[in-house]
Amino acid sequence: MLLNILIVVGTLICSIQAIRSNRLLISALWLAGSSALVALLLYMLGAAEVAVIELSVGAGLVTVIFVFAINIAGEESFSIRRLIPRPITWGLLAVTVVLLGGLTLSHMAPVLPGIDALPFAKAVWEVRGLDALLQVIIIFSGVLGLLGLLAENSGAGQFDPISGDKPGVKL
Amino acid sequence: MNFSIPNVILLAVLGLLGVGLYGLLVMRNLIKVVVALQILAKGAILALVLAGRMQGAIGIGQSMALTVIVADTVIAVIGLSLAVQVRRHCGTLDVQALSSLRR
Amino acid sequence: MTITAWLIIAVIGLPWVGAVAAWAAGEKRVKLLNILAPCFSLAAGLAALLLIGFSSAKVSLSLPVGGAFGDFSFTPDGLGVALAAIATVIGSLAVIFSIDYMRGESQLSRYYALVLFFIGAMAGLVLTNSLLLMFVFWEITALCSYALISFYNDDPKAVAGGIKALIITQLGGIGLLAGALLVYTQTGSFEISNFLSIAHSLSPILLAWMGFGFLIAAAAKSAQFPFQTWLPDAMEAPTPISALIHAATMVNAGVYLLVRFYPAFREVIGWPMAVMIIGAITTLMAAVMALVANDLKRVLAYSTVSQLGYMVYAVGAGGVMSSQFHLLSHAIFKALLFLAAGAVIHSVGTRDMRQMGGLGRQMPIVRTVFIIGALALAGIPIFNGFWSKELILETGLTNGPFVLYLVMVFSAGLTALYTFRCVWLVFYGEPRTQMHGHDAGIAMRVALVPLAFGVVTSWLLAGPFEHLLSSTLPFHFPGAVSTTSTWEILMEVVTTPATLFALVIIALGLAGWWWRDRLSGLTKALQGFSRFAADSFGFEKINKAIVNEAQTSGEALRVTQTGQLNWNVAGILIGLVAVLVTLLLGAGL
Repeated sequence: MLLNILIVVGTLICSIQAIRSNRLLISALWLAGSSALVALLLYMLGAAEVAVIELSVGAGLVTVIFVFAINIAGEESFSIRRLIPRPITWGLLAVTVVLLGGLTLSHMAPVLPGIDALPFAKAVWEVRGLDALLQVIIIFSGVLGLLGLLAENSGAGQFDPISGDKPGVKL
Repeated sequence: MNFSIPNVILLAVLGLLGVGLYGLLVMRNLIKVVVALQILAKGAILALVLAGRMQGAIGIGQSMALTVIVADTVIAVIGLSLAVQVRRHCGTLDVQALSSLRR
Repeated sequence: MTITAWLIIAVIGLPWVGAVAAWAAGEKRVKLLNILAPCFSLAAGLAALLLIGFSSAKVSLSLPVGGAFGDFSFTPDGLGVALAAIATVIGSLAVIFSIDYMRGESQLSRYYALVLFFIGAMAGLVLTNSLLLMFVFWEITALCSYALISFYNDDPKAVAGGIKALIITQLGGIGLLAGALLVYTQTGSFEISNFLSIAHSLSPILLAWMGFGFLIAAAAKSAQFPFQTWLPDAMEAPTPISALIHAATMVNAGVYLLVRFYPAFREVIGWPMAVMIIGAITTLMAAVMALVANDLKRVLAYSTVSQLGYMVYAVGAGGVMSSQFHLLSHAIFKALLFLAAGAVIHSVGTRDMRQMGGLGRQMPIVRTVFIIGALALAGIPIFNGFWSKELILETGLTNGPFVLYLVMVFSAGLTALYTFRCVWLVFYGEPRTQMHGHDAGIAMRVALVPLAFGVVTSWLLAGPFEHLLSSTLPFHFPGAVSTTSTWEILMEVVTTPATLFALVIIALGLAGWWWRDRLSGLTKALQGFSRFAADSFGFEKINKAIVNEAQTSGEALRVTQTGQLNWNVAGILIGLVAVLVTLLLGAGL
């Protein structure tokens, strides 16, 4: 129980630091830490397979992609002036979180129930088979989108945000 | 409200959602926006697995969480490649400067 | 897996594989495309024709996809295989025609890929037994139709026509979605056969909601009243597309929907009458608009709407066999007419009939096949249009109100009148301008001649067609399987007095054109009316008013679209808070 509270607090600290830090690379590293702690929480809830997937994908793959992208895009610092006034931000957030909490916190049973015998493989491939198909479609379209975005260098001019001309991509 | 394990995890979910939404409301750098989206997704994954566990059907909860992991990874990949392209073509990652809707 | 299952996979899957192959071939290798596309579509047509031999009333192919949505099941019953055969065979003829018609156009890989994708989706729509899959295929056909109407995407009229078609058919699609969701919540599954068997035990009010929801979807897709404005504007598409999508296949999806669910809704109070009235009004309105139109493709578009009105009217009157038979005949002769019109437009370069004339001497083959199609459209005996139209009129006379029957017969006369006018203006008389026409090329002829042959002979299939329908559709034809032969059906048509009456009206229609000089006083008196009709009876004004309203209100709301990410997220959060507050108050937590 105490362990749970510690890990939860650790996760929240990691995510707050990920948002707050000034340098993008450090932010990505804090995100990796947050992913690892969330994976630990998932394991403690009994979801061992998803925990290992989250660890390798969230803390590994996504972090590598972030580092890659940050290296290409480069660091940049600009004015910290916020677009939305501070009271509105905090007010909106507080209202949302309090409402969500009020709707859910009082209705949870005090203990975690036992686990049923449905194995993970059966659940993914048979009971929710349509989900697996949709995931394949998502991955496929993600890869196609990535290729389309990164291949755009042929004959492309500069995108001018004011006049809105764009280089055409013919698919 | 008692301090049981489900409630603690639920507090974690709420905290992650709050931090993620704060990031979306405040951050102006596109890459930071993707980071905030990732944090939001972690909250969602945790919530799904918790819900599955509370029903006793951990297998179904895990398969839904798997879908969210796949989707949010693809979002991160596309979002970051978009950010790289925007940086290359427009020279800036600032959300304010990129807004091209005319008044 | 049985042969039937493999055939179903071939009918739907072969065009889709062809679509991917056409997209991968790229737009430079035109010769490869010209071979690939017809091969795949012809193979699919062959599979569909073979499937007719294996048709049955039970589910033949069932793909399990987990428990949430039921299985993706396919049933090759008479309704489905007939329409699938029409879609694939006429599709392959249209693709062959495109080899000549689209010579020299750019981006042909996109064109062929979309056409093949559409053919596969249309075959899937009519063969499937799952309402969810039917909705998915419905949307795919709407997407392909939009993309193909706007194929010439640097022409603003084509783009506007495509968007208008998309918006109106999608509004109808909402009706389909609502009906499908109601079916799912009431019966617990998406299977159509399941729904049809327990439809009578559902609450009448919910059944009425479902029925009228489906009716709206069918009316929007088949361009019936009051949604008829999109089809004439969709004529900006290349002509083979007009022949395939807007004459033979996609617009038939609405009629298919009505026929498929007819046993469930025929007891709903007011539904059959509403269907008949919509069909009759559309037939009359479209026939009048065809009479005053000057664009060749517009005349054919209005005549398509009018003939679809006949089919819808037949469904309302309970004539499943007659409406499907007319659908078969109409698909063949309308595709023939559109393709022949395409040959004319391709050679003279204009669609305006007032600038044509005397082309019959320069294009004898096209003139012959066009006249064959026109005679079928007008309902002249021997050609297939006559038999099917008379069957519909007879069904309407016995099962429907007499007033509507008179409206339909009068429209038959108008059909003959405008058809004759069209043929005369294009092919006969003295040339009005210096037009130089050349006859159809080889690929065009290969597409046109089988269709003309079909027009002359498809009515011979009446008896086997009725046998196919009645033996594989247990809900539509409860009772014994029909064994009437073709000869008996034809004799029945020839001997009823309704046929004689209709023939007299058609003869009057033809005579009206012959003696148009003597009737010139009448035509002058109707000038104002004809201008009103050419303006689509005020529907265009309503359309423009709605569009203007939408645009001004959009401008007014523009201030909320800041374009900045943070404000957009704040908007999302405000919406979320609204939902949560509603939950809190409404659920009494």
